[in-house]
Amino acid sequence: MEESALVREAAGGDVAAFSALARLHQSKVRGLLLRLTRGNHALADDLAQETFLEAWRGLARFRGDSAFASWLYRIAYSRFLMSARRRKDEQLGEWDGEAPSGEGASHARLDLERAMAKLSAPERAALTLCFALGLSNTEAAEALDMPLGTLKSHVLRGREKLKATLGDPS
Amino acid sequence: MNDAELDAMLNQPLPERDAGDFSVALMEAIARDRARPARILSWIMVGMLAAIIAAAGVLGAMASQRFSNPVAVPATLLLLTLVLSYSVLRSARE
Repeated sequence: MEESALVREAAGGDVAAFSALARLHQSKVRGLLLRLTRGNHALADDLAQETFLEAWRGLARFRGDSAFASWLYRIAYSRFLMSARRRKDEQLGEWDGEAPSGEGASHARLDLERAMAKLSAPERAALTLCFALGLSNTEAAEALDMPLGTLKSHVLRGREKLKATLGDPS
Repeated sequence: MNDAELDAMLNQPLPERDAGDFSVALMEAIARDRARPARILSWIMVGMLAAIIAAAGVLGAMASQRFSNPVAVPATLLLLTLVLSYSVLRSARE
């Protein structure tokens, strides 16, 4: 079944359709939140669960103007910001030390995650959405609820900081 | 590191996460969420039931003054209260 059909079914209260949607998107949402929480697996998964629960409750509000994934990322990011405000730990800038789980974990990836952890939350989110998750700048700006120009600045600043941290010779 | 190398690193997809346990926990959370309105309604019913039974108790106590055994009516009402409360609470848990 196509994603749009699954969204329609789920909006009508079909739990099986929503379960299928969650299976399709859980990995990317959890990956985004893992990066935002700087490698805190438990917190990332809690926030991912809250994200999908909020999506389930609010599916009727989803008008389909954007991709379903972008809508989920928007909820995930706002959940993360709320949690960071509650925990007041956003100023801590270290990856929690564990290598990212899953296939492809490597020293290079760990270096990237550690460098990413030194960026601000909007910079991490902007870079992750625009690169690893493949959103266009417009989609990412919408998902992060920020003007396009602001998103581009975050991407630019984030890249510069990463290059400096990862050892840019130039 | 040049721009191309950085782009290549950033473009790497995020590590795949297994859906198993996460999906199960999510479906349980959704089931609890769906049951919430029914639970709230059940507790409202318990409140209303308690109010009705209290009113019936007062009326019963007033009426019992006319009977020879003054304990019979309040005891019956108390038993009725317990039976109804138990059945409502059971349905609230389900």
